[in-house]
Amino acid sequence: MRAIILTPLFVLLTGAAAAHHGWGSYDATRPVTVAGPIITSKFENPHATITVRTSEKVWTVTLAPTSRMSGRGATAQVIAVGQSVSAYGYPSTVEKDEMRAERITVDGKTYEMR
Amino acid sequence: MTDAAPAIFLALEQSGFGAAIRQSRWLYPAANIGHIVSLVFFAGAVAVMDIRLLGGLAATKPRQVLARARSVAIAALAGMAVTGFMLFSAEASHLVLNPVFQLKAALVAAGLLNVAIYEFWARRAVEDLAPGAAMPPRARLAGLLSLGIWVAVAACGRSIAYF
Repeated sequence: MRAIILTPLFVLLTGAAAAHHGWGSYDATRPVTVAGPIITSKFENPHATITVRTSEKVWTVTLAPTSRMSGRGATAQVIAVGQSVSAYGYPSTVEKDEMRAERITVDGKTYEMR
Repeated sequence: MTDAAPAIFLALEQSGFGAAIRQSRWLYPAANIGHIVSLVFFAGAVAVMDIRLLGGLAATKPRQVLARARSVAIAALAGMAVTGFMLFSAEASHLVLNPVFQLKAALVAAGLLNVAIYEFWARRAVEDLAPGAAMPPRARLAGLLSLGIWVAVAACGRSIAYF
């Protein structure tokens, strides 16, 4: 009886570890740098997000929780609409044109997101 | 936000309440912490009840142990409901489509149904028992189901972010 309950649970837990928060569903073998003007900016929890226009397309860039962003100086003003940003990170394997930033650079200053 | 979600969840996410939780620096993390702390108390209380139903703590009066643990479990469940609703509101449209969240919601419903069934069909027989008396099989089953379901709920909760 115990095995009946614990086996699916074990599968669920170990399966989860192989999947996402927040980096498993991002392809770390294909890092990208997304550079351009910020067109939308949400300084919100659980993660701040911006959209960035490049010559090819508009990327959605997932950043960090707002408390961490603020703590590292990457305030809402730093990622405001119209700012020019360069984001280094990994493309999503799930969402089209979404990437998760490892670090961003604005006005020559680099902010770590992890 | 995803437009694929039913309108009511989009409305919740876009409401002033949802926005306030996302935009506040501390509300979201506070709800997160509150959810986990409530879970700790809930799990502790439920474990005590389930162990008693499964025949453990046999020297105690079932009524006493169960009644005290029940108050803690109810308060903790209320805490989880409030903080869970806050966390859900911030990202309702995504969460409602998340397969692990859906599984968790179904398991919560199953857990509450198990409680209801126990209350109607087993509680009386259990609470009048003397210390050391054998637990009726339906009480043992309720305890076993409870333990399995709530642990699975917790595992799902933690897994939502990974899918």
